[in-house]
Amino acid sequence: MPTSRRDFLKAAAGVPAVLSLGSVAPAFLQRAAAADPTPGADRVLVVVELSGGNDGLNTVVPYDNDEYGRNRNTLRMTKRDVIPIGSDLGLHPQMPEMKRLLDDGRLGIVQGVGYPNPHGGHPESMRVWQTGRLDAEFCQTGWLGRAVDVISNKDATDHIAPCRGAFVGVFPRPLTVNAAGTVVPSVRSIEDWKLRAKAAPVDVPQDASPLLQEVGRRTQSAQAHAATVDEVIRSGERREYPDTPLGANLRIMAQLIEANVGVRILNTDAGGGGDIGGYDNHAGQKDNHAALLRQLSQGVAAFVDDLNGRGLLDRVVLITTSEFGRTIQENGRRGTDHGSAAPMLLAGGRVRPGLIGEHPSMTETENNGPKHHTDFRRVYAALLDQWLGIDSQVVLGQKFEPIKVLA
Amino acid sequence: MTPSSEALARAANDPAWAWARYEPGAERPWDARLAAHLLRRAGFGPNRSEIDQAAGDGPQKTIDRLLQPDGDPAEFEEMFAEYERAAEGSVESLRAWWLRRMIQTPYPLLEKLTLFWHGHFAVSQAEVGRAPMLQRHVQLLREQALGDFRSLLKAVMLDPATLVCLKAEKSRKATPPTALARTLLARFTVGEGNFSESDVTETARAFTGWFVNRNSREFYPREFDDGEKTVFGKKGNFTAEEVLDVIADQRATSQTIVRKLYRQFVSEVDEPGDALLDTLVDSFAKTGNVLGTIETVLRSNLFFSPAAYRCRVKSPVEYAVGLVRAFEGRVATDRLGRALADLGQGLYNPPTSAGWPDGLAWLNDATVVGRHNLAWQLLQQPGDNKYRLDAATYARQHGKQDAVAARELFLDLLLQSDAPDAAAVSAAGIEDAARLVACLPEYQPA
Repeated sequence: MPTSRRDFLKAAAGVPAVLSLGSVAPAFLQRAAAADPTPGADRVLVVVELSGGNDGLNTVVPYDNDEYGRNRNTLRMTKRDVIPIGSDLGLHPQMPEMKRLLDDGRLGIVQGVGYPNPHGGHPESMRVWQTGRLDAEFCQTGWLGRAVDVISNKDATDHIAPCRGAFVGVFPRPLTVNAAGTVVPSVRSIEDWKLRAKAAPVDVPQDASPLLQEVGRRTQSAQAHAATVDEVIRSGERREYPDTPLGANLRIMAQLIEANVGVRILNTDAGGGGDIGGYDNHAGQKDNHAALLRQLSQGVAAFVDDLNGRGLLDRVVLITTSEFGRTIQENGRRGTDHGSAAPMLLAGGRVRPGLIGEHPSMTETENNGPKHHTDFRRVYAALLDQWLGIDSQVVLGQKFEPIKVLA
Repeated sequence: MTPSSEALARAANDPAWAWARYEPGAERPWDARLAAHLLRRAGFGPNRSEIDQAAGDGPQKTIDRLLQPDGDPAEFEEMFAEYERAAEGSVESLRAWWLRRMIQTPYPLLEKLTLFWHGHFAVSQAEVGRAPMLQRHVQLLREQALGDFRSLLKAVMLDPATLVCLKAEKSRKATPPTALARTLLARFTVGEGNFSESDVTETARAFTGWFVNRNSREFYPREFDDGEKTVFGKKGNFTAEEVLDVIADQRATSQTIVRKLYRQFVSEVDEPGDALLDTLVDSFAKTGNVLGTIETVLRSNLFFSPAAYRCRVKSPVEYAVGLVRAFEGRVATDRLGRALADLGQGLYNPPTSAGWPDGLAWLNDATVVGRHNLAWQLLQQPGDNKYRLDAATYARQHGKQDAVAARELFLDLLLQSDAPDAAAVSAAGIEDAARLVACLPEYQPA
């Protein structure tokens, strides 16, 4: 009796071709091949990048703070504008869904996140967040890419080859998912993961070379996973997602998670990608920022509701990252400039709900924004060690004290 | 023992046999399989008439032609260089032109080696950004791909794209480019474990004075550290070129390059021992001649043995370009370039200075499905037929009217006799058959 997924695949590789995991194999067989029974092995980390530098002060708003009130003219939000969440803080009015997630215990907000001596430029600071290293200039791999490498290296010794990480979206892959030893594909559409035309059963002769036999096993496994994805696509239309690029990308992720094909790490960009993202609002910030936060709130809530409805939410943690927050003071163009600390949002069934850490000081500043009190790599470390179950020191190059972000 | 490891063991015991010229005989007769093997490795895969011609001409004459094609490739090269210069505003169109080069080139070995060096020096769009700089970089690789390694190394290491990629745009006396020096030693030449930290810092000093201004390099003598440096035990007031001579002189450099050429041309399956490679390393160390080394490999017993046959996994580019060349069709290479990037091999954009991962790393659940869908897109996707391979017409042109004959034709074209009665294809119609052959596990190894 096979006891692990590895044994199962070995056993499956030995069965005659008629019993192979083609598209006609019973669903249980396909799922057995995809699901690793080790506890936690099916957990997924979703990273949504808000490229451009999100204005943390108008996301989680210290509406009562004098510094805030004095420095923001057209962009100021009062108690009447925001959605109160306690501690004299309120969410941006376009984020009612996030408030609901908070009330349901499915949203955590880590406050005051940043890093020492922060860069003021997009490419430099983005590179720090994407690589997870302060010496980012010389680092060519992303923190998620290195995590994918670690998981895939273990797979290689187990003789399996699921795709462990992917970028979802139409932009060029960001450095975040760049890996040295693993191919991390881009997914533009869920259709990319199913076979466009009928596959033929794999039939590699017993006396074939080891390389060919391995290619045969991987082809078989890929066909089985593609069939599972196809089943998921057919099983429901998922109309509940907002009709935005982020909504579409999160829907793809939910489908991949439901298919349970071994993907552990998913990355997308809600700011439009490139060197300067949509969250970069130096002028006329108000409406654009409101629209972006509305898309974020609706998209994330749809994702959480979808997964929750299917009993999958406990497998998933979604986080947001952004290269910096913004200046406390509004500039002369009804916008804000590059600051430092900002909150990170965490959603899922197992996140520590509510506010995590204090709102950063409004008088102690760096780059004219609130000064950070929590290093973002402490959040990364918690997610790597405690959520994905891989050694954060290997991925981040040093040890960070994890923040308690999981329930 | 598998046939490939058996052949490798024989080669390890008898390197003289391994690198001796292959002569067709009873043990290893020259046939369409070996002809296609040669054409896959020395290029991007053959079409029907190329296999037939090579099978008729025998190995030596075929290799002669691969090393130095009939006619003058210069005209083709000039034409494409012109196209690329016109397209240099965008990396996307550079990619499309390069794929067209690979598909249409009269000198496939040259493009194969250009791609090889691109993977070796791994200058990337992600780090460099500027398309004109990338275009000139790859053109430089192409111009020197088959020549003298030392001269290629010197040209690459002072190429603006390389300097930008390795964060050496401003190498002042006070801030020598250590990242460049480390990558040069760890990746491009002697390899990890074969240099010391002081070799890194001393090498970096020799590169001071070089700057990239706009898109070209400039040397500022004031910023050059002209003091004495010690690299690999050699002392001198080395310039960048001189330190590259010292590094190129290291036997470990020749070992790195020869080992990588072995992986590219012979096998990704078994790691060869040092003794087997010694002959090649000796002559490479003496001459630095890339083409000469490749010639020895291509003509060898080992190359035509089971130790090499189908012992590599096709990269996405090799897979797609091979398919297009086999069916002698035309496809939209801009779209193809994007699809290949999604599968992990974005031309002009290798992931890190270590180049692309290879071998089985190309095949995971998502990328296998991606390959199969790419084959479908190239061969069957309805709609715009103008830029699609037309398997049915191809079969008709070769006098095959019915599905049975067409299936045989495709199996023979893409796999020669390596999967003679693939059950997967046995009931398929003409167009399905072409795609299914391209999706067979047997078609993935090169």
